[in-house]
Amino acid sequence: MLTLYDYELSGSCYKVRLMLGFLGLPHETRHVDFHPGREHKSDAFLAINPLGQLPVLDDDGYVLRDANAILTYLASAHDPGGRWGFGGDAARNGRIAEWLGFASDLTGTIGAARLHDAFFHDIDADAARAGGKRLLRILDEHLWFQERQGAAWLAPGDHPSIADIACFPYTALAQDADLDLADCPAIRRWHDRFKRVPGFTVMPGVFPARE
Amino acid sequence: MLNDEQRRAWQPVASSTDLVARHVFAGAIWGQELALWRADDGHVNAWENRCLHRGVRLTIGVNLGSELMCQYHGWRYANRTAGCTYIPAHPADAPARTICNRVYPAVERHGLVWAALEGTVEGAALPELPMDGLVLRPVPVDVPPAEVEAALAAEFGRDRVRWLVQPVDAGRSIIRGVLAEQPAEPLPVLRRWSARLGRLRDRLEALPRPPVAPIPPELHRVDPALAGLPEPGPAGTSLRLRVARKWPVAEDVTAFRLAPLAGELPAFQPGAHIDVALPNGLTRQYSLTNGPDDTAAWVIGVKREPAGLGGSTCLHDAVREGDVLAVSPPRNNFPLRRDGLLTLFIAGGIGLTPLLAMARTLHLARLPYHFHAFARSVAHLPFVDVLDGLGDAVERHIGLDPAATTAKLEAIIGTQGEKHELYVCGPTPFLDAARAIAAAKGWPDTAVHFEYFKNERPRDASNAFEVALARSALTLDVAPGQSIVEAVAAHGIHIPTSCAQGACGTCRVGVIEGAIDHQDVHLTPSEKARGDCLMACVSRAAAGRLVLDL
Repeated sequence: MLTLYDYELSGSCYKVRLMLGFLGLPHETRHVDFHPGREHKSDAFLAINPLGQLPVLDDDGYVLRDANAILTYLASAHDPGGRWGFGGDAARNGRIAEWLGFASDLTGTIGAARLHDAFFHDIDADAARAGGKRLLRILDEHLWFQERQGAAWLAPGDHPSIADIACFPYTALAQDADLDLADCPAIRRWHDRFKRVPGFTVMPGVFPARE
Repeated sequence: MLNDEQRRAWQPVASSTDLVARHVFAGAIWGQELALWRADDGHVNAWENRCLHRGVRLTIGVNLGSELMCQYHGWRYANRTAGCTYIPAHPADAPARTICNRVYPAVERHGLVWAALEGTVEGAALPELPMDGLVLRPVPVDVPPAEVEAALAAEFGRDRVRWLVQPVDAGRSIIRGVLAEQPAEPLPVLRRWSARLGRLRDRLEALPRPPVAPIPPELHRVDPALAGLPEPGPAGTSLRLRVARKWPVAEDVTAFRLAPLAGELPAFQPGAHIDVALPNGLTRQYSLTNGPDDTAAWVIGVKREPAGLGGSTCLHDAVREGDVLAVSPPRNNFPLRRDGLLTLFIAGGIGLTPLLAMARTLHLARLPYHFHAFARSVAHLPFVDVLDGLGDAVERHIGLDPAATTAKLEAIIGTQGEKHELYVCGPTPFLDAARAIAAAKGWPDTAVHFEYFKNERPRDASNAFEVALARSALTLDVAPGQSIVEAVAAHGIHIPTSCAQGACGTCRVGVIEGAIDHQDVHLTPSEKARGDCLMACVSRAAAGRLVLDL
């Protein structure tokens, strides 16, 4: 049985929920009171993840932390078609890894500014915002040229990858960090395409593309 | 505050390729946010980025192809006019025609979408651009437009690229360039320019300058014509529409496509009808057959009634393509719910017209429905091409005699499933039979929706009675042979009417007190039993006196 240690408002936990939705995997959810309870820093949770971070996935006793790691694992273990993960050619695999790294940068900038604005964490929010804005511009340019070449997703190929899943939450939640996507039209269109992938789920602050 | 130049100047607000199908694009001119969306028919809409209901940005809404849905309460707005077509919280009601978002003029030319905060599309004064130019990737810059203009001219000149700077706000711009010549291999050229403009952006943004205050959004008051209550009195045939096409759609049925002389038609909803003033002085009501994806011109179907008073024969024989007709704004007394789990449409002959508009609406929204079309013969079935477009949902019942029709209706209607809705329209005996069957099978009359073309019930206007108008503080007499509409009109109070025979529902008036003699065919039995409204063109007091909410 899959068990997700989850916090509803976390963009990183949302990555795993998206993946579980796309793969249609039944799972249990353990709600961790990140705010205001700081349960992720409790002794009980530190025993599960010494880093005190969400999300954590438990697959029948195989315990894994870090959203990118969990996405990679789920794609290897539970996606028989190998559509989402590192099942393709080398060039595609390289790009997926590249954008997974970019997703971590998004968490460290937009995610950090959002932690400051919405969860009152002591972070230099303006520096985080400036960093986030720079990343959004790079992502928008990449996606604009992808569109131009008839490509819908971050990595090459007709099917979205875990890179799209990893980069979606904190770009879709940019508004929470006071970053406007109006200047990133290609990102907004990519969001629309991503929201129409069967199995897509929403979270607070992320709206569906269809009724 | 914006000046006139800022308001009237046409600005490029998007590349044509930005407005992909089923997407809502975020644009802006001088701090005024725009929601731009392309409908499935290709029309580009530029609306104020604000749902007039609760002020939520429409750019987070959903482009449904022919309507835009606000993300908050699901209000739907029509392509072209931005008129409200549906309010999910009031599924049984037709939204007032006054509910309309603010629309900006917009045109698409040279691979760009242009908009202005004021003015009309006809007056669009756009710069001449190379027609076959290559539109570069737009690059947003957090720098005042004038500075960007100067820097572009100094950096790149104007020979190879036509530069356009979109003023997003006082301190924000978007660089849009159109390359004079279409290169054989556009991709590397586009990449080169994107990189160049990115470097220019970084350099300009790094220059020291005092902070520039953003221009606040101008929140316009609702147009007084929309904010007020509708004018009392007959709605009037205020629109002038040209017969763009006249063609036979069945034996004895002619269709007319009515197009505006200029601008756009007002918003309409499925089930709506219009009054058409005819050259021979008569006024007739016709249902619109259009779906929400067909908003450029209205299509009505007119059945020739040789025994009638000459309305239909006038349209058939005298009105030609190119003629201009006076037509009323659409009025909807036959609204369509969109929350049924299954909707049954049962159409007899030309009664198909309003149901066609409804079925097209559900079809586009991919909501479940069945459409049953009854006709005397295959040749008598109108709008077959539209029915064909609805595919498997349509069942045709041809040439049945009255007994077979009743048996078929029995089979179709059955017992009501959970949240099933029934819509019936057709000749009086057909409609009566369908309603009687539904009632006998236990359908509540809140789920049975119908519209009669005319009131063929015997009517009796022989009594005299008194009406007290509560709001006007007037008491007056209604004489034998006189209707309530006529009696109050003599005292300067106008009740809007349309069919004047108790069929269409336009003259509905609230009743505060008194027993009503209902003589219409519009209200359901339970509405009549409630006794809180009447059709003032035909209904009367059962005894003595009525107190009306007028």
